[in-house]
Amino acid sequence: MTIRNAIRDHGQRYRPRMACLRKAEKVLLEMQDPRTGVKSQPQRLVITTIPHAITGEDIIAWLAGRFQIDTQEARSFGSMLVALGYIYPLQDHKRLVIKPDASLYRFQTPYFWPTQQWPVEDTDYAIYLAKRNIRKKGILELHEQEQYNRLHKWMNHKWDFIVMQAKEQYRAAKERKKPDRVVFECQERAYWVVHRPPPGTVSAMDYGLERRIDPNADETQTPDFYERIMIFTQQSIMRPRVKSSVSIGALVKYCTTYYSHDPFLSKCLPSNPWLTDDVTFWTLNRLNAEVPSKMRVERWTFSFGELLSDPRGRDDFRLFLKKEFSSENLAFWESCEDLKWGTAATMRGKAEQIYKTFLARGAPRWINIDGKTMEITVSGLRHPHRYVLDAAQTHIYMLMKKDKYGRYIKSPVFKDTMKKAICPEEHKFSDAQLEQNAKNRRPSLSPIILRQQELEQRARMAANAPVDITQVMSKLSQQGKEAPQRRTSR
Amino acid sequence: MPLVNNKVGDNSTVGKDKALIDGEALVDSLIKVVACYRHLASCVGSCTDSLQLRDELRQTREKAQKLSVAICHHLTSHLRNKSLPEEQRKEMELLWVAFSSSLELLHVDMCKVFKMGDVFSLADTGTLVQTGLQGGGSEVAARALSIPDLNQAQPPALPAGLESQEQSTLEQEISQIDHMIDDMEMKVNVLRWMVEPHGPQYADPLSSTDSASLALLSVDEERPGHQPLCQRSHIFVLLLLFAVVFVAATLSVCIFLFS
Repeated sequence: MTIRNAIRDHGQRYRPRMACLRKAEKVLLEMQDPRTGVKSQPQRLVITTIPHAITGEDIIAWLAGRFQIDTQEARSFGSMLVALGYIYPLQDHKRLVIKPDASLYRFQTPYFWPTQQWPVEDTDYAIYLAKRNIRKKGILELHEQEQYNRLHKWMNHKWDFIVMQAKEQYRAAKERKKPDRVVFECQERAYWVVHRPPPGTVSAMDYGLERRIDPNADETQTPDFYERIMIFTQQSIMRPRVKSSVSIGALVKYCTTYYSHDPFLSKCLPSNPWLTDDVTFWTLNRLNAEVPSKMRVERWTFSFGELLSDPRGRDDFRLFLKKEFSSENLAFWESCEDLKWGTAATMRGKAEQIYKTFLARGAPRWINIDGKTMEITVSGLRHPHRYVLDAAQTHIYMLMKKDKYGRYIKSPVFKDTMKKAICPEEHKFSDAQLEQNAKNRRPSLSPIILRQQELEQRARMAANAPVDITQVMSKLSQQGKEAPQRRTSR
Repeated sequence: MPLVNNKVGDNSTVGKDKALIDGEALVDSLIKVVACYRHLASCVGSCTDSLQLRDELRQTREKAQKLSVAICHHLTSHLRNKSLPEEQRKEMELLWVAFSSSLELLHVDMCKVFKMGDVFSLADTGTLVQTGLQGGGSEVAARALSIPDLNQAQPPALPAGLESQEQSTLEQEISQIDHMIDDMEMKVNVLRWMVEPHGPQYADPLSSTDSASLALLSVDEERPGHQPLCQRSHIFVLLLLFAVVFVAATLSVCIFLFS
């Protein structure tokens, strides 16, 4: 079809997660068939009756019969159809679920069906809100009011048009007969409940990212396409293989270890912020929190990688190493990470600094690596690049993991931290409190501020870099007869 | 209409004002037609979809296109006229923004009608969705075409070939509107952020005699028992008040009579 996308952006937008819409449409067409579909009844209102209303229990019964499924599944399927906007409830229009009783629903007209190609326009929403305001002043809810003000700010140049169009649509609607008018208003209202849901509700229209190409379209078979397939197959052949029993065993072990720490699978203390809109969980588990939570401390015991990747864990480990007078290992590892992840301009300077501090003979914080690695590293440092210290870093990492990590877990530092760790109580919010939380949502600290704090902390740590007395003493014992010279700290 | 461009004071300003008034009238009617087209388009695919509705859609669309072509010429010629005074230019730009937004709405609606026409063919009436509508859009179409009554001249049984013909014309018209929008943007450069609207943020309510449909809708609202209860308690209080006043009045009359 040569019809272009209605939005006049010159890229195409595909929303692949909404591929279910086509299937839902087919089901709906079957459902509304007057002979074989859900049986409809007229809805009696004060002045008139409107036909084609269906009850929730009829919908569920029809779905269960058509697809041979049990009532529970039919109910969730029906709720999905309502959430997508193909059927709308006539009473309690804001809750998009199917109730298995005599509450009434109606089919949505195809003009208001959700589509994959045409995103929902803010202009239309502004016109709808203006229309409702024309009908009765002050009828807009709080979130609609906020949206209206926001749209007024951003679409200010069109505002005359929006108001005029709203008036014209209102007048055109008045031309229709009363029952049709009511039906149209219900349809439009249901459409906007689906596509602009009130805050705190889950929308079925969340479709993820928009793609530039249509992933459902077939790809043209060009030489490039075949080349890609060839490269992919070659790499698959070259991959090292592991017995499935071993890999599955590893997966199972991972799952059992992390099961209780996963917020989806088990409880999140005090409460999951995405569900209750209460951010205590995030503030307690900040990166540089003073007192870590019990779950966090438990995660440090899982593996050395976990301990190092958590900044608070790394702090604790650093404290332990300071007590053992071997903190140069961790400092070296951190400087290597800094080199690997830093900017290319600073690489040379950093590499020299690391050599002077850690690797040179007589360096103040000399690390203990074997001769061969030292040779490779020093020769590599003549032409430093990002990964020149990789061998040394791996050696030190393994050293820390095999030796120091075990001792850390058994040390009084760790036991102290574990004793002080907090275990917050679970929140129990009532519905009213949940709504209050949803209204009080605020954005978190700006990442710029967080980055500044991080840099400040790093500068502070670099300024307080301790001198290792052990190195000094070993040097003194090496020199033996010479008069001991005091080394001052930098 | 020919624009008198020699700078004879009154004539030219009157001429330009007339152009503005003309433009406003045209844009107003286009907005009206686009609103009616939207109402008609919302009936496509529903149980009231019929050849008559499609025909009304076609007529409304043709009217909208005639209007848009006229406005396009009118506004383009004025906005490309470099000697236009500043306030006139501002007004023209407002009209331009309104015109381009209406065109976009029309384009979307036409695309949707085309797509739905593909999916919902009138030959198979079983697939038309039972939406609860009972009447067609004849009154809306009459309003769009500005005629008091739309008489159903054509018989309902028309050949099915007409439908596919209509679809192909619709496709052509949609691409024509596409081209028009593109042309417009190329010929005239209107800076959207410089355009300031006149009107208020909130439109005033048009009529207060609309409580009937409100009542119909409010019956469907949640907590249906809540509102009548409120009204009942209000009425009760009022009755009580009246009763007290009535008793006080009778007592005072009695006292007056007996004293």
